[in-house]
Amino acid sequence: MMPVLTPEQQHFRDEVRRLLSDEAVRDEVAQARRMPYGQETGLLDVHRRLGKLGWLAVNWPERYGGAGGTIVEKATLTEEMIRHGVPDNVHTLGIDIVGLAIFLFGTPEQKERFLPGLARGETMANVLFSEPGVGSDLASLSTRAEPDGDGWRLYGRKIWNMKAQHSNFALCAARTSTGPVNHFGITLFLVPVQSMGVVIEPHWSMWEERFDIVTLDGIRIGREDVLGEVDDGWQVLNKVLPLERTGLDHSAKAERTLAALREHAPTGCEQRLMQLETRVRAGRLLAWRCVANLHDGRPDEVHSATAKWYTSETAKEVAVAAVELLGLPALLDARDPEAIAEGVFDAALRESPGLTLAQGSSEMMLFFVATSKLGLPS
Amino acid sequence: MTDAVTTAIEGFFDEDLAPLVRRMADRPRSSGGGGDDESREIRAMVWQGLVGLGALDNSDTVQLAELLGSVLYQGPLLDTLTARELFQSDAIGQAPVALAVAAEQWSSQGGLINARRTFVGFAAEVDYFVVGGVDTAGLRLALARADHPSISVRRYEETGRGEAYEVEFARTPVTAWAGSSAEWERALANARVRQAAYLVGLAQAALDHAVAYAKTRRQFGQPIGKFQGPAFRLSELSMHIDATRMLVHDSDAAAHAAANLAAASDLARTVTTQTMQIHGAAGMLSDDDAQLYYRKAAVESVRLGTPSQLRRESWETR
Repeated sequence: MMPVLTPEQQHFRDEVRRLLSDEAVRDEVAQARRMPYGQETGLLDVHRRLGKLGWLAVNWPERYGGAGGTIVEKATLTEEMIRHGVPDNVHTLGIDIVGLAIFLFGTPEQKERFLPGLARGETMANVLFSEPGVGSDLASLSTRAEPDGDGWRLYGRKIWNMKAQHSNFALCAARTSTGPVNHFGITLFLVPVQSMGVVIEPHWSMWEERFDIVTLDGIRIGREDVLGEVDDGWQVLNKVLPLERTGLDHSAKAERTLAALREHAPTGCEQRLMQLETRVRAGRLLAWRCVANLHDGRPDEVHSATAKWYTSETAKEVAVAAVELLGLPALLDARDPEAIAEGVFDAALRESPGLTLAQGSSEMMLFFVATSKLGLPS
Repeated sequence: MTDAVTTAIEGFFDEDLAPLVRRMADRPRSSGGGGDDESREIRAMVWQGLVGLGALDNSDTVQLAELLGSVLYQGPLLDTLTARELFQSDAIGQAPVALAVAAEQWSSQGGLINARRTFVGFAAEVDYFVVGGVDTAGLRLALARADHPSISVRRYEETGRGEAYEVEFARTPVTAWAGSSAEWERALANARVRQAAYLVGLAQAALDHAVAYAKTRRQFGQPIGKFQGPAFRLSELSMHIDATRMLVHDSDAAAHAAANLAAASDLARTVTTQTMQIHGAAGMLSDDDAQLYYRKAAVESVRLGTPSQLRRESWETR
């Protein structure tokens, strides 16, 4: 169910909308989407503006740069940023994953050191989790953390990372011990990525933003930069990643593409549009049910898997439908002067295959629901 | 979330009664006579039970409708709930009512109606009809006593093998007139939300039936539910049901009634078709409920408009 917003929360949504509709923000966002091939933005002015108001991590306490709000305000901000086309990876990686992990599992010193910069939109963070051949089976990672005095040196290769080239630090999963159980022996490190011992190379893809190949070549990490317990990083990941999995980002992306599609679709498409509109509405309700669960302190993994699967598949369906309904003009890139709706359909089409892969693939969600909800044998 | 009346009715449909309810309006193909009488008695008993437990005065009729769908209830209750939104209860008391409304021409001069209405549910056992039709005054709705000799009914032979009738009104006297067409629009929207909830309940019951089968039916040395093909298909259906359930129970559901019903209609037909596939040929047998869900979904999913009509209407009125 959609939580009923308090007058203050509704006011917050109105204020966020006002800021994001500001001409300067609109220009900056449009420009970011038209950057030359091979270039992409990191932190934008809009991040700094939101950060200055304490809104970027609005649910964090003021001492860490937030505004002491709830998850409902945070979800509202995420939804509005995506609806207004602000590139969302910077925010998702820095605040929703790395920031959240530090907020939940960091030492007081780590929180003081890392959170305010992220919340103010002044620093960026990314994740270094996946590796060649690891895919959805994250526990099979093999990056090594070798003991070095009272710290460690990291060796390994990380792939499918994004924004490493712009980040100040990364949350990196590495193996501190090996044993019969893969899930044990993983430790999370806060790694300064722009340092000796870390090599970042681009891995070009069809998407707007590049993947990074990050080689860890013996960078030294001290005990103070371990997040959570040594060997117990899996617990942190298990706690943090589902919290990010509300489906709200995918739901907002589907809404954005559909809004443009509604505007540009020729007559005769009404049936298909209504079908998509109903799907998008249902997805938003599933996403907000997860937000409400988090707000009530009762995260529900089946609800999360359902929302993630449904909203990402819906966002993909809307993107594909845009081509089906609009034809070739839908494929014009934002950089083309004839592009319709600022190239939103082309961008959605290129982004959408990743939506059903990242944050737990559709197959992982289906497997989880089959075994945990339906009780089918695994 | 469930209110007391719905909880009581849930208890009423216990494991002894539920199998009878599922076939309370399903004429067996093979039986000679007698099957119909037995079903009619069960329907009368279920009606008494529902009324006695307060189904007509229930505040959360959407939750109730989902429950009715989950046991595949067949009877006049949903039509009666709609009729009670249009006519004061002192006009119809606690009597069962059937809707015979169509945006088609009729004559209603001198308080006597002439009309032919199709696919009217349970016409042979209700006390009243709500008859609707269009003339120069626009869409109007009349209440008529069902036992008047001017009314003739014919039961269809159809996929659902249920209680669907063609009804002919030939100078049938009107007992009461309902208000404006705006009231009908409102009542129809609520009826569609309930029908959508009914279909969600039906889809869930069909899925439960399929999941139970997938856990026990073994092929190639293991339960078929262990194969990812069937398992993932069932997971997808389960999540589609969840999503559609969110739509029908949303506070904004009536504003999107037509589009929501179209989605529930697609859902019910898809889930029951897949339930047949999971069951293999065993699902086609008369004593298996898979074919029952499949046939009833076909009927119930287009009762208040086809998905394409509903989506067109929804687009035009949004």
